[in-house]
Amino acid sequence: MSGADIALSRRVAWPLWRRIPWTLIVFLLAAMVPFLGSRYDTFLGTQIAIEALFAVSLNLLLGTTGLVSFGHVAYFGIGAYACGILMKTYDVSFWIAFPAAGLAGALGALIFGFFCVRLSKIYFAMLTLAFSQIVWAICFKWNDVTGGDQGLPDIPYPDLDWLSAIPGFGDSSIGDRFYILTLVLVALSLAVVWKITRSPFGRMLTTIRDNPERAAFIGLNVRAYELAAFVVAGIFAGFAGALFGIFNRGVFADYVFWPKSAEVMIMTILGGMNYFWGPPVGAFALVWLNQEITDYTEYWPFVLGAILLVLLYAFPGGIVGGLVSGFRHLRHQLTARRA
Amino acid sequence: MSLRRLLALACAVAILPSVAMADTIKIGFPIPLSGPTASYGNPILKGAQMAVEEINAKGGVLGQKLEILPRDSKANADEAVRLARELIIKDGVQFLIGTLTSAEAPAVSTIAKENKIVFLAPSAKAMLLTAPQNLHPYVFRVASTTATEGQSGAYIVSKWQGVKKVATIAPDYAYGRDIIAAFTEHLKQLRPDIEIVDQEWPKLGEPDLTPFITAQMSKKPDAVYCALFSGDFITLVKQATPLGYFKAINNRLADGGEVGAVDITAALGNDYPFGIWADAYDPVVWPGNEPAEHKAFITRLKAYMKSDVGSGWAIQGYSAVEALAAGIQKAGSTNSDKVAAALAGLTYDTPVGKRTFDAKTHNSDAGEFWGIMVKDPAYPYAIISSPGYYNPLPVTN
Amino acid sequence: MAASFLFSQFVGGLTTAMFLFLIASGLSLVFGVMRVINFAHGSFYMLGAYLAWQMVRWLHPSAESFWPAALLAASSVALLGVIVERLLLRFLYGREELYQLLFTYALVLILGDAAKFAWGTAQLTVSRPAVLNGSIDILGATVPYYNLFIMLLGLAIALGGWRLLSGSGAGRMVRAASYDREMLDALGANVGGIYTGMFAVSSFLAGLSGALVTPISSIVPGMDVEIIVQAFIVVVIGGLGSFWGTFWGSLIYGLVLSFGILIFPSFSLFSVFALMAVILIVRPWGLLGRPIR
Repeated sequence: MSGADIALSRRVAWPLWRRIPWTLIVFLLAAMVPFLGSRYDTFLGTQIAIEALFAVSLNLLLGTTGLVSFGHVAYFGIGAYACGILMKTYDVSFWIAFPAAGLAGALGALIFGFFCVRLSKIYFAMLTLAFSQIVWAICFKWNDVTGGDQGLPDIPYPDLDWLSAIPGFGDSSIGDRFYILTLVLVALSLAVVWKITRSPFGRMLTTIRDNPERAAFIGLNVRAYELAAFVVAGIFAGFAGALFGIFNRGVFADYVFWPKSAEVMIMTILGGMNYFWGPPVGAFALVWLNQEITDYTEYWPFVLGAILLVLLYAFPGGIVGGLVSGFRHLRHQLTARRA
Repeated sequence: MSLRRLLALACAVAILPSVAMADTIKIGFPIPLSGPTASYGNPILKGAQMAVEEINAKGGVLGQKLEILPRDSKANADEAVRLARELIIKDGVQFLIGTLTSAEAPAVSTIAKENKIVFLAPSAKAMLLTAPQNLHPYVFRVASTTATEGQSGAYIVSKWQGVKKVATIAPDYAYGRDIIAAFTEHLKQLRPDIEIVDQEWPKLGEPDLTPFITAQMSKKPDAVYCALFSGDFITLVKQATPLGYFKAINNRLADGGEVGAVDITAALGNDYPFGIWADAYDPVVWPGNEPAEHKAFITRLKAYMKSDVGSGWAIQGYSAVEALAAGIQKAGSTNSDKVAAALAGLTYDTPVGKRTFDAKTHNSDAGEFWGIMVKDPAYPYAIISSPGYYNPLPVTN
Repeated sequence: MAASFLFSQFVGGLTTAMFLFLIASGLSLVFGVMRVINFAHGSFYMLGAYLAWQMVRWLHPSAESFWPAALLAASSVALLGVIVERLLLRFLYGREELYQLLFTYALVLILGDAAKFAWGTAQLTVSRPAVLNGSIDILGATVPYYNLFIMLLGLAIALGGWRLLSGSGAGRMVRAASYDREMLDALGANVGGIYTGMFAVSSFLAGLSGALVTPISSIVPGMDVEIIVQAFIVVVIGGLGSFWGTFWGSLIYGLVLSFGILIFPSFSLFSVFALMAVILIVRPWGLLGRPIR
């Protein structure tokens, strides 16, 4: 029997419970948080979901295509402002404002990305930073449209009364309902990005990451692919920004300031940029750590710096990388013993 | 002792603090404690903590002790929002005091409205906080406003003799723009003969002000109204003095950014441009008719802060707690709606005088103490000579 | 506009430029030789400022103790740089640049909190040394002596650095290390020592700039990130890794800022990043860098 036949027969033999993807289980568990956890846990969960989407969008550039962007927060901010301005100033429904935010992020990424992808490595990174700070300066000063440094407080929640029709959600709070909405939107977005990374397009991107000269040699238009990746990353960053603005009930210039780019990059690398699920794990870890540690001390930056050092020297693959190699090591030990 | 008894004792001990905690009134305090704005955040927090200690020593409010839960908002709006939610939902605070930057305050105000929690802002001057579209029953401002600052400045400048040309220099963001707008408008009403010859707008935190200084000096103004504060003011002094900036205008400069506060004057020491007009929420050193209550307050403050200098900012945290305590007392309960109703229109006591929350706008009528900054042999730093209270016009007793 | 006014603006721009050059030269050196973007350069600058303040207090709170205080502060920061390089940074050289950058960012976080722990968050200042008080009138512009000192110092470091790099044996080694590290290693030179030496020099320059800025600015938390952004832009304009490029980059930046605010009053917030973006789009390798993309 060939290997494929063995695999096929093995697959048929698997019981039902092993065929459910673990991602679905995580999703269902996450959906249970409003019922099992406290009201604050729901808010924390919403924040984690949004940051996870933002980090995954960055990893499309960082881990998949090998593009180190220091200015990814620009598209997050453009999305946040687009959605916030539409919903608050122009009273537009969330179901139009949300896709508009993604579109705005894509447009920003297209314009900036066009210039950025012509550069490589450190110059690329510096130009992304320069563009994102220009976006910040515009948001900080354009009082009439963005509210300037005072921002746009009091962004309304989308109308989620229809969710009460679902059994179990009858008298849930708006915070809970928004959490479920965020969870669903983030899950769908992650599924789409997953499909993209597994598609031929995604494989081209990893080829470019591994060896750009070779990719060019075999006829790939490297710049076009990188720009496409940039735009896709911009769309999902815009989605994350839109959700973030509503979640925080306001959009402020602080969302576009460069430390946020540093924060999302740390999340991505902390989780493990070589794995799709690295960034969400990193988002979870960082949000949770920030919340726990700031309760006890005001020296959170010191703690974060120390964590980064441990990461760099001991776990360069991030949390997921460390877990995977630890798992592999364990399995190797077990099988070695058996033999 | 048997294991069971030990266990029972452990449980009782575990429950005891929570029983005691249920008796405290918790106040959440998100404010920047790191970064450049922490030079305000820390003394404001200290002032509030001192007020809480004093009130608790006298038996608390309505028989309950007050408790402050301080958190570092890092001058970041979304962190402030997260902390506000955490304090309200997880830590169960009943009131919020805090925020500093012009984005933090409206951000937290929205969360306060969402959760129906009374929120007092001790230092946010941006108009947006209590603008009609953002006003709600639970937000109150203990700080002054940009309008008051600008108008006081205009009044002071208008009284100077021989001034025909005035220049302004202010940080380029909403706070700076609003103050200068209030100043120029009011000055035009008081002295239509005065011409604004130059306006400089360095960015907030600009490390090099030299080009702005030389540009302004070239227009040869007779007087300057300055809205630079904290580190920017220090940078201005250090860079402008050797260029002859203050000499050229004969020290006719008024600055409404609380640069008369001892925190700033102590930092500059002998480099301070003596002779300018500056203000502070609390002069700390008060030559002239110092109220006895203030003298006692400063003695206690210096002891509490373990500092010979004290701080001109601590009064804001102190007043916020005093105001809240007065509101709770008047309402007879810690229920947010009742306290909010009690605070509107309430007159509360502070060591520098009585203040009142406007029933409609929820702004306190807080003004500032202005005066000429002079050298006093008793102190190694500049002090306000005969501090006068302006809100926005001088209040004569 | 009067000629004396334009000259004042010009001199002001020169002062800004030379100050930035003092700071950025160290950054440029480290990148040129070690290919490391040292984010923590700004933290060394900040530590230099705080340490200078501290030394002045310890030695004698008079204006005379400024010079020894500044030198002591710069040397302490250089020592810190050596420790950091030998114990930590050394192990990351073979790794991806991203990891080195993250390392320096972690340093920024740690050193920032260390400074906050040691000196608190209040504003601190240092007075001008008495010998440099006062100013001189040149062509109708008032030029403070201290500013003149900074300009001359910047020029001296530029010329001195150039002489050392091009003329001396050590300088040749440093330049060789920046072109081809492996070859130099194979030829038996002590590349590790060169790297440590360069990092020490860079840290010394950063600490010195921090100490020297205290009489004309306030020492405040956050000054580390504020300055590093400006230093980066200067280095990008001049060309990453080019010593003279950093010099010309600082000049351009200082003068553009100085005259830019006359044309666009609300310019300073954008200027920095707009300039960087324009340079990177049009000529990414800067003025004097090597033409690679």
